[in-house]
Amino acid sequence: MNLDANPAPAALAAYDDPGIVAGPPRGGFRAMLRRLWRHRSGKIGGGLVLLIIFCAIFAPWIAPYDPLKLAMLDRLQPPSLAHPFGTDELGRDLLSRVIYGTRYMILVSVVSTGIAATGGIFLGLLAAAGGRWTDLLVMRLVDIMLAFPYILLLLAVIAILGPSLITALVAVGIAAMPGFARLVRGETLSVRESEYVEAMRVLGAGTLRITFRTILPNIASPLIIYASYTMPLAVLSAAALSFLGLGAQPPLPEWGAMLVQSRSFLRTSTWVVAAPGFAIFFAIIGLNLLGNALRDVLDPKART
Amino acid sequence: MRRFVRPILMVPVFVAGITAALPAMAQTVNLRLGEDPESLYNVQTNSLTANGVINYVLERLVYIDQSGTPQPWLSSGWTVSDDQTQITFTLREGLTFTDGTPFDPAAVVAHFNTVLDPAVASPQLATQGPLTSVEATGPMTVVFTYSEPFAPAFNALSGVGAGINSPTAVAAAGSDYARMPVGTGAFIVEQWIPGTSITLVRNDDFHEQFRSDIQNPGPAHVERIVLNVITEEGVAQAALETGELSAAALQADAIAQFVDNPDFQTIINKSSGNLTFLEFNQQTAPFDDARVRMAIGHAIDRDAAVMAAWDGYAQAAFGPLSAAIPGYDQAVVDELGTPYDPEKALALFAEAGWTDSDGDGILDKDGAAASFTILSYAGFTSIDRTLQVIQANLADIGVPVDLQTSDWGAFYPSLLEDGWDMDLMRWTWDDADVLNQIYAGDGHRDKLTPNADIDNILNRCSTTMEPAARLSCVSDAQRALLENMTAVPILTNWEVVAVQSNISGYGFDHAGYLLATDIKVE
Amino acid sequence: MTAYIARRLAMTIPVLFGILFVTFLMKALIPTDAVLALYSGTVSEDKAAEAIAAIRAKYDLDKPWYHQFVLYVGDVARGDLGESVRTRQPVIDEIGYRYVNTMILTLASLVVALIVGLSTGIASAYWKGTWIDEVAMGIGLLGISMPAFFFGLILIFFFSVQLRWLPVMNAGDWKGLILPALTLGLIEAAPISRITRASMIEVLSQDYVKAIRAKGLPESHVVFRHALPNALLSILTILGLLIGGLLGGAFIIEVVFGWRGIGELAVKAIGWRDFTITQAIILVSATTYVMINLVIDILYAWADPRIKLG
Repeated sequence: MNLDANPAPAALAAYDDPGIVAGPPRGGFRAMLRRLWRHRSGKIGGGLVLLIIFCAIFAPWIAPYDPLKLAMLDRLQPPSLAHPFGTDELGRDLLSRVIYGTRYMILVSVVSTGIAATGGIFLGLLAAAGGRWTDLLVMRLVDIMLAFPYILLLLAVIAILGPSLITALVAVGIAAMPGFARLVRGETLSVRESEYVEAMRVLGAGTLRITFRTILPNIASPLIIYASYTMPLAVLSAAALSFLGLGAQPPLPEWGAMLVQSRSFLRTSTWVVAAPGFAIFFAIIGLNLLGNALRDVLDPKART
Repeated sequence: MRRFVRPILMVPVFVAGITAALPAMAQTVNLRLGEDPESLYNVQTNSLTANGVINYVLERLVYIDQSGTPQPWLSSGWTVSDDQTQITFTLREGLTFTDGTPFDPAAVVAHFNTVLDPAVASPQLATQGPLTSVEATGPMTVVFTYSEPFAPAFNALSGVGAGINSPTAVAAAGSDYARMPVGTGAFIVEQWIPGTSITLVRNDDFHEQFRSDIQNPGPAHVERIVLNVITEEGVAQAALETGELSAAALQADAIAQFVDNPDFQTIINKSSGNLTFLEFNQQTAPFDDARVRMAIGHAIDRDAAVMAAWDGYAQAAFGPLSAAIPGYDQAVVDELGTPYDPEKALALFAEAGWTDSDGDGILDKDGAAASFTILSYAGFTSIDRTLQVIQANLADIGVPVDLQTSDWGAFYPSLLEDGWDMDLMRWTWDDADVLNQIYAGDGHRDKLTPNADIDNILNRCSTTMEPAARLSCVSDAQRALLENMTAVPILTNWEVVAVQSNISGYGFDHAGYLLATDIKVE
Repeated sequence: MTAYIARRLAMTIPVLFGILFVTFLMKALIPTDAVLALYSGTVSEDKAAEAIAAIRAKYDLDKPWYHQFVLYVGDVARGDLGESVRTRQPVIDEIGYRYVNTMILTLASLVVALIVGLSTGIASAYWKGTWIDEVAMGIGLLGISMPAFFFGLILIFFFSVQLRWLPVMNAGDWKGLILPALTLGLIEAAPISRITRASMIEVLSQDYVKAIRAKGLPESHVVFRHALPNALLSILTILGLLIGGLLGGAFIIEVVFGWRGIGELAVKAIGWRDFTITQAIILVSATTYVMINLVIDILYAWADPRIKLG
């Protein structure tokens, strides 16, 4: 796990060289979906992600037990017909907790990436569209955020806001903003120079219109790809925060917290650790595979 | 003549052989520290970790024996003045610190003057209570003067904070003294590698042992003790298994794999003075109502918490004092404690006006549904699990609660603020004075409604020096606190230690400190 | 070139200032402080009120945050990083050796990451599409999908307890370095592997490579003389971010394996609310990151003059 939510896809080196060419996906949106459908590992990744979404939506119907109900008499039961994943140290059914945990998984990945993307897009657009001084100021702010040790930034935000799952997500989101900001700025600059933007300007379109009609849709591809990188990292960062005792509070069936709270059972009752551990593992593999597939499909240069 | 030469020549070889084998027996013991102590100067710190280490090096004027009675240690005896405000100690003669400084009244006075000095701001100051001055009154006598009779005085003077440091070493080392304290004890700090380990070597010139709870009459059997800083529980367990650690205290989850293992002995210390309890912010409704507090007391299944949090290595607690502390009154606890009884809990809630009037499974009063928060500190699975059991128990009777944990450093001071309902707290202490510390006045977090009766009793307990009278007073205090249900006791845990089977003599004193000179490595 | 260096250096100063500024701002927002934390639970705050006030005054904690900021900047300029509130020892003593340890870990992990990343990248590119490619990419995927602390505990269990190859307790020597460097390095190898692979595939599919092969030059020449340098250039591009990732990842790895670095101390220090230590670590860490990026940018500009120096 790379504990830095600002990953470095080959594309994002210096500010001025975005690498991924901004623009609509080759052949249009439908063609992209078709390519995604045919992508082998993308199917596996997509399947895993869909499974998670399905569990999250239908959890109350498919989970066999109440994930929060204690049953001290049944604590630490190995996997059986009654409890396919076994029970944890307080007697709760692990399968049900894993199923409900998909909700937190989605919450963590979507909310923190959403916060990061929103803030990042705002900063990036501001830097690209504003004057030279705005650009300088905003980018220095981004540099400051990047130079700040990642874990300490998370811990500081949580220390200010108080520990809970939501504050953990906010912290991870804030820490991931600089990466998005840089990306958006770079892509926006390159699109701005492109021909059809020139054309629109010549035709008299205002800046705001240009921004929303043209720039945003065209930077969507690199944004989606970048988001697919940051989502798994957000999940792992949230798990690391649980490791430090912050983040999701008991008894929430958030996989990271479950993993951390049960780690003393690694040798004696392995299933208590294995259930959330493999859940995180497969969820992240799914996200990563999907991300790879999206990149292959959206980025004309990266066809391998 | 010649016939005797050979046997005589054999003797030196034989003796040499034995003395060569001897060093192999006086080996090194590896123990664990949960964290690096911030300082080893007992004036600067009062943390459990630091005290545990300093305990090897410094000795005190008195110690508390296994029956809870104060006994002379570096003192040979004492007298208490008629008005109970002065204790005169006679010091033992001929003792020296490991740096050669003689142990005398000047050393004792120097230590306590430093503790008493407001400019030093020592956390030890409050432990010593109403102590006002310490003076030498003769070649081997020292007088402790208090502003009022202080019943816990002997307990306070037996603690590591009252350990006597060598005044010359303190003066010479300045701020570096915290890295290497000098005392009269059985061990000397040889090296402190920050963050990694503290190495203690045997004091070969250790005086005769004055304590009756220690078998070994002289210097320690082992030559060296290394205290290794290991923060992760899993790593500590693993180190125990590989033999890198000689002994370590275990968390409940790990105990099972060592209990039946012939390579280890497990020692269960049931005389630990500690209590995990639920406190209330009595300045917010409905926790100002004793019936609500009692109802919560009846709603909690303590046996479930004992199993979940400590795997059974704990006992349910129904009184404000833990069972091992002198003064614990089982009769009072049996009479006034709140055993697990959800029906009774609901009845008490109803009396206080909380019923499920709209049938949604949640209790409500005056139209407002019950919804409370319990705060606590993070980083301890035992606390986490106890919280979850409490939460589930309360949910069962229709009282939903949210849990919120944070670092100790954030949690404890935050209790001084408003906006919280209940908190789960734990104290470790070995004297009944803990009741004063926690419950006197508006309580240790300023959130109790002062109760004149309770305060009177607590004040009496604290100023009654005569042991039997004090015990009876402590019994009254427990009664008063239970009738008021100021806090809901949950459980007392036992310390479980796994020790390699080749180690003998591993044991604890009344206060829970290791009796290191008895340890032998076979 | 000199102008470029000067300009970049000039830009780092405001960044460092900014970081300190943000640090002090955060300190103002965090509810409690080290002094209270020190006394917590041992004595009630009102009894120790005088003592607490005295300590606060000594460490300037009673002044407004911007005043503290100015004082701190002055101190740092004079080389004084202050005293830890918790231990009353100079901060330099506490973080000096730890900083070295973190750098050692970062360097060792970088070496592991480069070795593993480059070799798997080259192998997958060269045998693209075969099982070697799939396996290499699969391992890379696994590396970045597992939470570090989980992975760490499993490794400790496996290598120290089961196999007894390595000691469990980390003494800070080379034996204690192996597992943390392996964990961090394997995780960071994944992006290196992927970039190497992509870059090499691109080069290997060029026409001039076919020409070279037709001339009869050995494969090793093609791979190592032509394709690899290109890959290395791409990696240099992201080296700054990679090292940033290593530095960031090192913090948690240190906690998991008990490696005495600044990361382990920082995490503890935040818990203790020991701000002098935290400030110093933030400053030292950020300066390192900024300096490394500066050096890399300069190297990159020197290596590839086509890059616009802006």
